[in-house]
Amino acid sequence: MNEKRLYLFSMISVSNLSKNYDAIQALKGISFGIKQGEFFGLLGPNGAGKTTTISIMSTLLEPNAGSVSIAGFDLKNNPTECKKIIGVVPQEIALYNELSAYDNLMFWGSLYNVTKSELRLRIDETLKLFGLFERRNDKVKTYSGGMKRRINIASALLHKPRVLFMDEPTVGIDPQSRNLIFEVVEKLHKEGMTIVYTTHYMEEAERFCDRIGIIDNGQIIAQGTLEELKSLSKISETIVVSFLNLSDSLYEKISSEWEGLTRTEDVVHFISSDVKRDLSVIVLKCSQAGLSISHIDIKKVNLETIFLSLTGKQLRD
Amino acid sequence: MVRLALKDLKLFFADKRSLMLTFAVPIALITLFAFAFGGVGQEKGKARPTRVVVADEDQTVTSKNVIAKLDSSKELEVSLIGIDVAESLVKKGDEAAVLIFHKGFSDSLNAGSKPPIEFKYDAAKEAEVGILQGALIGKLMGIIGGRSMEKNVLAKVDSDNPGMDEATRKKIHEQISKNFSDETKKVSETFIKATPLVAEEETSPGLIQAVAGTSIMMLLFSVVSVGASMLDEKQEGTLKKLLYSPLHPNSILFGKMIFANSVSILQLSVMFLYSRLAFGLDIFSHLPSLLLMILATAYACSSFGVLLASIAKTRQQVQGLSTLVVLIMSCIGGSMIPTFIMPPFMQKISVLSVNYWGIQGFYDIFWRALPFSDTTFLSRIFVLVLIGTVMNLIALQMFKKNVLKIA
Repeated sequence: MNEKRLYLFSMISVSNLSKNYDAIQALKGISFGIKQGEFFGLLGPNGAGKTTTISIMSTLLEPNAGSVSIAGFDLKNNPTECKKIIGVVPQEIALYNELSAYDNLMFWGSLYNVTKSELRLRIDETLKLFGLFERRNDKVKTYSGGMKRRINIASALLHKPRVLFMDEPTVGIDPQSRNLIFEVVEKLHKEGMTIVYTTHYMEEAERFCDRIGIIDNGQIIAQGTLEELKSLSKISETIVVSFLNLSDSLYEKISSEWEGLTRTEDVVHFISSDVKRDLSVIVLKCSQAGLSISHIDIKKVNLETIFLSLTGKQLRD
Repeated sequence: MVRLALKDLKLFFADKRSLMLTFAVPIALITLFAFAFGGVGQEKGKARPTRVVVADEDQTVTSKNVIAKLDSSKELEVSLIGIDVAESLVKKGDEAAVLIFHKGFSDSLNAGSKPPIEFKYDAAKEAEVGILQGALIGKLMGIIGGRSMEKNVLAKVDSDNPGMDEATRKKIHEQISKNFSDETKKVSETFIKATPLVAEEETSPGLIQAVAGTSIMMLLFSVVSVGASMLDEKQEGTLKKLLYSPLHPNSILFGKMIFANSVSILQLSVMFLYSRLAFGLDIFSHLPSLLLMILATAYACSSFGVLLASIAKTRQQVQGLSTLVVLIMSCIGGSMIPTFIMPPFMQKISVLSVNYWGIQGFYDIFWRALPFSDTTFLSRIFVLVLIGTVMNLIALQMFKKNVLKIA
């Protein structure tokens, strides 16, 4: 988690946002605010409403109700002004494969009000930043998935947006590209860019986000800093117990006596707000249930466990 | 918009398959059709005479004169043959038809009655027979029509005035004959002038048919790539990315329109240039009309691609729909076979096709040699522009509707 900053101005304000797809209510009146320069993470399982939220904030979708303002511009009344301020890194790699990286960037950059000479300078800078300057004239179709992802991000930065929406920007890429993207993202954040980031990867959210909004089933169920979420979830740590003889019936027996359990084969995760107290209780109850423990591990609280506690689901569900 | 179009042009020139479909395939087809429709293979771009098998049963000076006049025309090549042999050739399928001057042809002509001329043909060769009939009827009318009519009028004057004295009768006959002589000459001249077949410097209709018909049909196939490019944008997520930008959503479609028009104009221009280089089609004598017609045809055809871009939801849909529509339009519009040999009801339907208006426009330029300001020519331009505008407006509405569903 980054050090705390002083955020003076609200950059994004989302109020009672609702969106329906026919009978399905994808967003149920969500509200949150993001301050200028803040790194805001939007976490939630598949189908929770993350992409719908980003799509509305980036003007692609119209909400059924509610409002969004970006840098003081109402999205509904001033969509073009909002579009000039934002940059969007979509989940899918949206590039022209038959064009070179340079031509791609030249095209995407030219859609904004940037002079050609300035754009050329920015493209060179950005290509160097992403380690692709040497291959700038190669067609994108010859690039690896990670390289394409880097160009995909680069194309959203050329007009120097004040707000950057990144929708799962590191899905399915190699560690080298991932690290490079992390470095760029951190640099942009340090330079004061407001970033809205959705991800499945808890370590990314923990590493970058000043604040996190947890979205599930179209609702923001919690938002705040990691510390605030910790206290909100009322959990502190996880006791991970490996068993020698865990059967379905024995698991049912202990899960009926302990809330928030999850099981992976012979391993059971016990969420605890007081490890010292809960550890002895767990050992006692397991012994009484006839379970033989092979190993016990205590895991500190992280976003994964907070998420599990708040939603009852794994993030990748 | 222009940036979008330039990007699409860059992608278009980077795609070898699209280039093949747009330029190489039409050139190959034009070449094939130019040979198939005639007018190519002899003197560059000039009309090839139509072969006519003639049987002279009359064997009089008059019948021989008429046949000689037929043979002397540039557009007909008479092959004199016995009636039995001629009929046998038609029955065997070696000849499409035979023109027979029956015994008594000369007498009938002199008597002003219907001359016994018969046109026997192979019904299976409808197209060939149609072309032959067209050429023969006009020509024969020019040669014998006036004389036949003159005799009819003289007989009518005599029968209506039985008591007329010989001197008056002779005077009236002389005057009528003189009038007919002048009139026939006029009719004949008018006919010859009005029929481009006899205009020696004119271009072969077969070549015009091949170039115009094939170019427009292939242009329609090419503009399908505009529809496909929109689907690529949808499938690859670039359309969403364009919508994130400050561009007005309609600009995306306008960009596609500019792209489609540019490719269409380029394709038609290349096809006519090729026809000039390969077959000597005289494009430079009619340059302003040709350019205007290229622009109008390109606009109308490209709007078809734009419309496809706005309505199709999958590539399969684009390919299936476009193939069906292009083939139907090309078939009824005269790209595959000339409309003048189609039955009358098909000729009426053909006006529903964009191909028809384009092809007729090119005929106006190269065949009918209509001037730039001619109302018939301009009316075709107007219809093409109207078709293009209507399709573009529908496309715009459909695009707005579909774009909202994009995410």
